[in-house]
Amino acid sequence: MERIAFVEKLRLKFPGDESLIFKDLSVSFDKGEKVLLLGPSGCGKSTLLQVLSGLIPHSIEVPMKAKELESPSSWGYVFQDPDSQFCMPFADEEIAFVLENLSVPKQQMNERIHNHIRQVGLHLDDIHTSIDTLSGGMKQRLAIASVLALEPEVIFLDEPTAMLDPVGTKEIWDVLKEIGKDKTVIIVEHKIDHVLEFIERIVLFNDNGQIIADGPKDIILSLYKNKMKEHGIWFPGVWDEYIHDHAPIREQREFNDGGPIMQMQGFRGFRKKEEKIMVEELQIHSGEWIVIRGENGAGKSTLLHALMQFIKTNGYYELMGTSIKKVKNLTDNMTFVFQNPEFQFVANSVYEEIAYSLRIDKKPPQEIEERVHALLEVFHLTAHRDKHPFQLSMGQKRRLSVAASIVKEKKIILLDEPTFGQDSKNTFALLEWFEEYRKRGITVIMVTHDDHISKNFATRIWTVKDGKVISDEKISKQLAFLETEVLSL
Amino acid sequence: MNVSSAETWLHKINPSLKLFVLIVLCMVALFIKDLNYMINVTMGVLLLFLCFSGHPLNRILLLSIPFCFIFLSTSSAMILFGQGETLWFKWGLISITEESFMRGLLVGFRALLFAVLGLTFSLTTRPVNLFYSLMQQVKLKPKYAYSFMAALRLIPIMLEEFQTIRNAMRVRGVERKKGIRSLYFKMKAYSIPLLSGSIRRAHRIAVAMEAKRFSDTRNRTYYYEFGFSKNDHGFILYFVILLLAGLYLSVQFPYLSI
Repeated sequence: MERIAFVEKLRLKFPGDESLIFKDLSVSFDKGEKVLLLGPSGCGKSTLLQVLSGLIPHSIEVPMKAKELESPSSWGYVFQDPDSQFCMPFADEEIAFVLENLSVPKQQMNERIHNHIRQVGLHLDDIHTSIDTLSGGMKQRLAIASVLALEPEVIFLDEPTAMLDPVGTKEIWDVLKEIGKDKTVIIVEHKIDHVLEFIERIVLFNDNGQIIADGPKDIILSLYKNKMKEHGIWFPGVWDEYIHDHAPIREQREFNDGGPIMQMQGFRGFRKKEEKIMVEELQIHSGEWIVIRGENGAGKSTLLHALMQFIKTNGYYELMGTSIKKVKNLTDNMTFVFQNPEFQFVANSVYEEIAYSLRIDKKPPQEIEERVHALLEVFHLTAHRDKHPFQLSMGQKRRLSVAASIVKEKKIILLDEPTFGQDSKNTFALLEWFEEYRKRGITVIMVTHDDHISKNFATRIWTVKDGKVISDEKISKQLAFLETEVLSL
Repeated sequence: MNVSSAETWLHKINPSLKLFVLIVLCMVALFIKDLNYMINVTMGVLLLFLCFSGHPLNRILLLSIPFCFIFLSTSSAMILFGQGETLWFKWGLISITEESFMRGLLVGFRALLFAVLGLTFSLTTRPVNLFYSLMQQVKLKPKYAYSFMAALRLIPIMLEEFQTIRNAMRVRGVERKKGIRSLYFKMKAYSIPLLSGSIRRAHRIAVAMEAKRFSDTRNRTYYYEFGFSKNDHGFILYFVILLLAGLYLSVQFPYLSI
């Protein structure tokens, strides 16, 4: 087999870090191979892609050294974030930008743009469509189309579906399978359900950026299952195993004391004077775990925003027996955890971040100390208490934002995709904490695309479609678990 | 916000040329000392703005509100407190003289002219077209042109993030803080995540651009090619005639005698 990209004895260190991210790493890739790089977050998989493509050190200046290094002569790179890989405002201009870089004559451009857009199944009425109006999945397709314009031999994929919902994820992988057939494809991805059918080889990394296994996918998957579990990798069947190990502990308790804590009737939410969400009638009790489901753009997040009064609403909406118009400090009873935890940080250290709400209320220092300490323990942040919140890893940031939001023991906690982009370890840990709070009578309302969560944790599922809550089903948990038990037998 | 518009002949003018002509006109306006002449020129530019920008009339009128304000504020300051010989009206600090009145109007019209020229330009020129034309006609380095275009994309994203941060701050109870110190605190709480987000995003876009083989060589091809056409001749001719005819009319038929 012809080698198309390889690196030998790579050493690389990020400025400011204490240790090397790679120490004498060697790996090579053959022409036509489809390879998946797997490993815990922060182990340097994306960095390796950037080295192999030559982005490091040419575009990103990072000190590195390698005995030998060969980048493919033509390659394309699809990045994670659909919002930060375009430099032009319109779809056709973005692909034209690539063609201009390659000095393709103007006369050929139009035809090639149409071709590439068709190849990735991006159905636009007009190729001159503003990129801002595209959905996340469509943006990633456009990114793939502009990579195709490079006519690459090798395609590097750096978690191309990390920001997409399940439908978008599947669509992207369908496209990639089609266009990647005759190319070398090197992939970094955490959600590997759809990737597995496509790849033939897996390279497995550990926390220290060392390769612990490299070989055909079936062998790696069967031999290294425990290692993957330990590192929080989403290998297939991780949920089944988790449920198998944890199912019997749970019990369902009803909190019907004191009537509903939230009531809505003919409740509507508006964005820019347009009605975006409508609730006919719903009542919420304490101790419920409500999952809000629905397609992208159906109005799930808008519903949370309406409950939180971020947007204009009308209709009947009552919180703890008080009409919402008379509720003065909504945030005393209800809290919201945003998708991007960074937006919520206000303090200079992890400790102060959690203490912040308590300090505003002028609680006695003794009490603050106790409560913050307890939360730091629960959320495994004690070791980082003096760090700046921005210095934490993504998983830690998420945990901190949850800890800081619930320090005041709010009755209701709203979450927007709290497990997005988290590895399996963090996801399960977060879900267990929410379950713990729920058992104490706190209501959890979350938007999530993850069917496993609705199946295994929710006590109630709302489905939102076209700006309306169209169904509300209560689930007996015991039953859900029994079913899985039966199925796995 | 939807700011689409119909295409008029003003849209078809070479953007670099348009920019150049309008800058020259601004310079010329600095040296016009005659009020009648100034009024004529301003009327000519206003005609262009009102009739040929291709935008619906209600949007044009909405955009005109701040410019009426500019006109009134700049001219009134000069009119009410300027110096002069022929006194028309005096009340306390306020003294209106003939000279100050004329000078006030001149300054007001000049400000109005600048505003209208700028607005006409921005309403009829897509930034992308301007930068493509600047690369082709003025030989602007692609490095700068594309960085500007990429930066323009960041603005709406930043606005959205700002809104999210505001909601987040409300949840955390920051809005409830009062006083000067809280103002400093809020500024920090808003600007740090906003800036860190933008810097990270800008860096990512830059890397993505280089991954698409962007380099600063001059022999790139262009998706939009700009040359010169009859419209450009018409555009220049319009202003030449405006300046000459305006001058002639101001001498022959002055509105105000100075």
